[in-house]
Amino acid sequence: MKKLASLPILIALTIALVPGYANAQNRKLKGRVLASATNEPLSGVSVTVKGSSAGTTTTPDGRFSLSLNDTATLVFSFVGYDNQEIPVSSSDSVINVTLRPASHSLNEVVVIGYGTQKKRDVTSAVASVKPEDFNQGGARNVMDLVQGKVAGLTITRTSGTNPNTSPSIQLRSATSLTGSNSPLIIVDGIPGGNLDLLQQDDVASIDVLKDGSAAAIYGTQANGGVILVTTKKGRSGPPRFDYSTYFRKEFVRKRPDFMTAGQFRQRVESGQYPQLTNTYITAPYDANTDMFDSLVNRENLTQYHNLAISGGSENLNYRASIYYSRIEGIALANSRTQYGGRFSINGKGLDGRLTSQIDLVTNYNKANLNGGGQWESALARIPTLPIHDPTGKFYTSKLTSNPISDLAQTSNTRDQATNSLDAQFNLELIKGLKAGVFGSIMRDSRNDDQYQSLNSDPSLYNDLYPGGGYAYKGSTVISDYAFTPTLEYTHTFGSDHHLSAVAGYNYQYHVEVDDHQDNRGFFNDVFSNNNLGAGQALADGKADQYSFKSDEKLIAFFGRINYNYLERYFLQLSLRHEGSSKFGANHKWGNFPAVSAGWDLSREAFMRDVSFIDNLKLRAGYGVTGNSGISPYQSLVTLTTGGQYAYPDGVYRQTYGPGNNPNPDLRWEKKAETNIGVDFSMLHSRLTGSIDAFYRKTTDLLYNYNTQLPPFVQPNIYTNVGSMSSKGIELTVSGTLIRKEDFTWRMDVTASTTRNKMISLSNGTYKLSYFGLGGITGPGALGNALRITEGGAIGNFYGKRFAGFDSVGHWLFYKADGKTAVPLTEITESDLSVIGNAIPKYYLSWTNSFVYKKWDLRVFFRGRFGYKILNAMDLDYGNKFALPNNVLNVAFTKYARLNDTYQYSNYYLQPGGFFKLDNVTLGYTFQLNSNYIRNLRIYASGSNLAIFTRYKGNDPDFVEDTGLAPGIDAQGAYPSTRQFLVGLNLGF
Amino acid sequence: MTSKHRYIALAGLIALTIGWASCTKLDEKDYSNFVTASYYNNETEVLSAVLRPYTHTNAWITSSGQVGYWRVSELAGDQLAWPIKGVDGQDNGNWIRLHYHTWVIDDQDIVLNPWVLMYTGVGYCNDPIANLEQRTAAQMGISEDERVEYIAELHLLRAFYYLKLMDLYGNIPIVTEVGTPINPPTKPRDSVFQFCESEILAYKDQVPILSPSMVGRMSKAGAFAMLAELYLNAEKWTGHQRYNDCVAVCDSLINSTAGSQTGGAMALDSNLDMTYSNTNEQSQEIIFSIAYDFQKSTFRCNFNSDFYHFNEQYIYDGTENGNNGVVLIPGTYDKFDNRDLRKKDWFYIGPMYYLSATENAPDTTKPVLGYREYSGKPLVFVDNIRKNITLAPGQNPNTLPSDMTTGEENSGVRFNKYKPGRKSDPHYFSNDWAVYRLSWIYFAKAEALMRLNGGTATQPAVDLINAVRKRAFSTADWPSVMYTTANLTMSELLDERGREFIFEGWRRQDIIRFGTFSTGTWWDHKPDNDTTRQLFPIPLTTISNNPNLKQNPGY
Repeated sequence: MKKLASLPILIALTIALVPGYANAQNRKLKGRVLASATNEPLSGVSVTVKGSSAGTTTTPDGRFSLSLNDTATLVFSFVGYDNQEIPVSSSDSVINVTLRPASHSLNEVVVIGYGTQKKRDVTSAVASVKPEDFNQGGARNVMDLVQGKVAGLTITRTSGTNPNTSPSIQLRSATSLTGSNSPLIIVDGIPGGNLDLLQQDDVASIDVLKDGSAAAIYGTQANGGVILVTTKKGRSGPPRFDYSTYFRKEFVRKRPDFMTAGQFRQRVESGQYPQLTNTYITAPYDANTDMFDSLVNRENLTQYHNLAISGGSENLNYRASIYYSRIEGIALANSRTQYGGRFSINGKGLDGRLTSQIDLVTNYNKANLNGGGQWESALARIPTLPIHDPTGKFYTSKLTSNPISDLAQTSNTRDQATNSLDAQFNLELIKGLKAGVFGSIMRDSRNDDQYQSLNSDPSLYNDLYPGGGYAYKGSTVISDYAFTPTLEYTHTFGSDHHLSAVAGYNYQYHVEVDDHQDNRGFFNDVFSNNNLGAGQALADGKADQYSFKSDEKLIAFFGRINYNYLERYFLQLSLRHEGSSKFGANHKWGNFPAVSAGWDLSREAFMRDVSFIDNLKLRAGYGVTGNSGISPYQSLVTLTTGGQYAYPDGVYRQTYGPGNNPNPDLRWEKKAETNIGVDFSMLHSRLTGSIDAFYRKTTDLLYNYNTQLPPFVQPNIYTNVGSMSSKGIELTVSGTLIRKEDFTWRMDVTASTTRNKMISLSNGTYKLSYFGLGGITGPGALGNALRITEGGAIGNFYGKRFAGFDSVGHWLFYKADGKTAVPLTEITESDLSVIGNAIPKYYLSWTNSFVYKKWDLRVFFRGRFGYKILNAMDLDYGNKFALPNNVLNVAFTKYARLNDTYQYSNYYLQPGGFFKLDNVTLGYTFQLNSNYIRNLRIYASGSNLAIFTRYKGNDPDFVEDTGLAPGIDAQGAYPSTRQFLVGLNLGF
Repeated sequence: MTSKHRYIALAGLIALTIGWASCTKLDEKDYSNFVTASYYNNETEVLSAVLRPYTHTNAWITSSGQVGYWRVSELAGDQLAWPIKGVDGQDNGNWIRLHYHTWVIDDQDIVLNPWVLMYTGVGYCNDPIANLEQRTAAQMGISEDERVEYIAELHLLRAFYYLKLMDLYGNIPIVTEVGTPINPPTKPRDSVFQFCESEILAYKDQVPILSPSMVGRMSKAGAFAMLAELYLNAEKWTGHQRYNDCVAVCDSLINSTAGSQTGGAMALDSNLDMTYSNTNEQSQEIIFSIAYDFQKSTFRCNFNSDFYHFNEQYIYDGTENGNNGVVLIPGTYDKFDNRDLRKKDWFYIGPMYYLSATENAPDTTKPVLGYREYSGKPLVFVDNIRKNITLAPGQNPNTLPSDMTTGEENSGVRFNKYKPGRKSDPHYFSNDWAVYRLSWIYFAKAEALMRLNGGTATQPAVDLINAVRKRAFSTADWPSVMYTTANLTMSELLDERGREFIFEGWRRQDIIRFGTFSTGTWWDHKPDNDTTRQLFPIPLTTISNNPNLKQNPGY
């Protein structure tokens, strides 16, 4: 998992490059560098004098020679091998060195729950991604950095490059029907960490706890897996400044092929289409409008700046970074401006027995939410309709939308401030025993503002206050508190029994307060939304006011023991005893145990002679996690309003009755997961990787069931009934294909495959044989596209099977036998069937990294295979029925025979598989012999460059593949764009 | 370990122990919803819970736009239907199955939905009963008398729910406590009858009599009305006739021993419109109603939804339209004598016009236009259900098919019994929906007297019916249309019931009691001769969730 510029090398190079330490060089030192296992000479090894700029590289036969004065320490470093430092005395003249294959990646520290572990010791499925492996091309969200980098982790941007949306994240398939399916994100120990607080240059690592044995220490929040983000911290040394920047532009890669105004006019004139009367080509329908194009922000330019300062002493060091970014989407009025900072300080006291860390992070952002969502209305708008009327005003009418007028005359913004403060103190009580305490507070506050001016469509055509302005203000404040005291103990018994243990208490409190108010009927646009009381609707009792507060609490006791014998046999046990306020009185608390074990075969005597294997470890783990990702108050009986009724005094007041049934048994969904895996490193670390296979079963799935009525009050109860499973295989392989003096070529592949099954939706009390989801939006009320049935796969499309068209172009579908074609009226429920599946069977990503001298090139491909997508765009707009609205040109070609209303069937299911050239980045690192510049790299990057797919709709990469309702393409998808970026990293 | 270290360790242990005790509380606090446990602290809170079941009763006892008691009672009867009209009214075939009595046990809308609505209301009664019983009057800031009255009122309203559930489903579970027992067993119909009767008898004297402050509430008057309904139907429901008891409880109301909405004596309203008007909280004859005031609240009776045409708002100069749904079955309108004022007053038929801006009459220069087949053409409601628009020149319209699937936009005579008033009316759409009214008590007593008399009218029975009927005729016409012991036969009584109580949700119960439900023919409905259909089945969803429920015989 390492790259050329791994950290130790960087430090070594850095130090080497700082001039001023070099003494007069008056003697020659010669030597040779060999590989430890094979005794082959190593060519291209960097040999530097520590604390000096002097250095050289080895020849093809592994030899080097250097001029030296007195004593020195030589640093030998080479890709794929551990660095080695050799002190040389003044008498040495020849020195031979053997380098060991890099166990460095195995000594790398991996962040696990409430602690860290050497990669060598890990016994569960944990993936760690370091900055050198992050995606390039400018992350809109820190999760973009690891898209395609972790096998089994699905990160999907359903809104493309819209800067104001987050990707949906899912690990190893869905685990819940109604609760959260997202992984728990922990940033520097803060549970539920806010991704807004992370900038790509502040991240030191992203670690993913994939299986149950790794995640169980997080109990009821861990069914979706856990993602641990660790940020960069200060290091002792003189102040270092690191500045990163990039600029990016986007271009539309593909747009839906709707009729142009010219094509539309021709079709009207052809007289073939009764809906297309001459009305649509005579005034005001006399323009040539490309509304889609008008919505594109051609001037878009995104920029990002991040400056970090770090340094300090051994006992007190710091890192502070500040950033500014402005991301502009491809749409007008669709941007995000952010600035903020991250400040971290580490101090040691009490003779090093006390360590502390304090982080303060802040993000201010302003999002323009007005644009980005008008694509469908732009595409469907009749293209002969003008944007402006002859007088220059926006052309609007009650029945036709004008997105440009909307964007110009309405506003919708969000002003957001997110802050977090966390502190960690550790005190070594006695040798091996540490007491620690961690506390954090995080606050996310948003202010939403909307205004619709007098002349905007929504104001002009409002029923109650036509022509009056509309203003809205809303705010949300979300606060999260966490407190975690821990005790840690490490001890080595004898010399072979290594034990470490951690125990702790965890308290989390989440509180959310919302309010909003609106008013309508403003006389003019002077106030915008800065004088909300001035509208008329408030006076008439028709303005809206709302406030809401909810909170939830989570308390846990946890412990973990790690034991290894001879660093060969590893065992890890953990247990979390956790309670959540959200569960019923009878099930507030649960236990989440985990066990995992590892066996490092490569350290066994019988493997000693297997020279091509550097490291080989088998792992197996089992862990139980839960899901508390549901809304609060669902086990309580709350009273809901029943409408106003006549009180004895003749006043009509609100009435209240029980709004739900009590469920004191409401409890967490429970997932038990078994994982077996192997980690390997061979051919002197030229080939490394992991393979994991898992089986997970989630039981006690929560769903709203019909309940006994009577005796209950309401017909439904939110209760734990069903179970579902998934199994899969994940593969991560890295290989160094070529390793020459000036050229290396490395390849990383991650691949995964998963199968899901809904095992059961019923128990003795509550029964359900299926439920539908994935409602098809758009005209025709076509209902759900997907159905989850007992025993069936998740993501199944369920519907009619297309049998052709009759002579007049009406739909024919197959009856249950699959042979008899009948018209729609003869199709009944029993003729519907599973017609495809929306969840990709295979995921693959493929990174090629080339380094030639000071050039580096990264080529990254990503793909999904083996699934279907519902082309809802063709369904709605590939049909002449939608005329006189604009339709896709395929309505007259591919779908020319169709002469009927919208119908959902397998006719519109298309293979969704794709393979995408996601990113190409070319960089150049200057090696400057300068007092001032430590490092300098410039790079250029292109993203979303090419896609290979049979899918005919929008970009299949942006179609949801997570959750329970995947696979439905959007009718108004955010356009897929190509993005080009130039960037600079500068250290001084 | 040095002593210093021991102290540190000890301190740590103590801290953990304290932490364990104090940091493990997981009580949930709801900030923006009321939680039952911390409710019922003052009179307004108490009333808000006591009145909750009434707004819910609106959903099923009135023509509310939902499938409840009202829809299944009227649409399975012989007066009203919701035929398919052009593209409208398919609605999953619900109304067709009701009309032809062909519902099935897993009918979600017409079998399950009334059950769900009505038993949810039972829960809305059970819940405050338990909460009022658990608390002292002082805790709730009310007097002990009020506490007793509220509990009694809720018992009576719950009895009303069970009475109507028993009417539809017959053999049903009785639950008086939320959540207990989890799987209540089926009780035979006569046990449910006894439960209702004993509850009403036990609590009728603990509730206030009807008064202006009890409008829309279950009062002592409502208790008598429920007993009248129970006793009138006792023979059908239990096999034991209770007509004498029926006469007795009817007399309690006729003699005005239980108050009235106006505070004066309970009496028949003097004209045809008062009972259904938008000021009918002042009706003298309403015994129990669902109260609405569209000016004081946002809540109104939704009868427009089932009855009104898509362009109805122009006809009455209002704001609400409907789904062009329920119409008179052909033949129903003809049952009214042409001299009967109800025939003119309670229906829309013929060409429809905008209401005049200046007077309370149609502006015959401004026809209301159709919306579907008659789009752009005048809207004319006709007393037939067939596709007149397909009529060829010279074709006899009676040759067109006429059944539940052959309607068009303007088919059928329409509802105009409750009149919301025009939108500028200060009481616009504030009509209460009368559930029990004194006229019905008159009819009940008369019927009981006749049944006691072997199905033949007695003079007191004739007098009761005439008292109600007389309002529908001019003084001049009255002598020729008044009933006598000779012409008030049982079948005439049923017809007159139909005329007087049309649209009021009684018809299924009436024709079951009179025996024509399973044997009668009306329009395209053929007799099923299957008494099974006199009860709805226990819904499949319900019975599969509760193993202690038994399906009704025949399903």
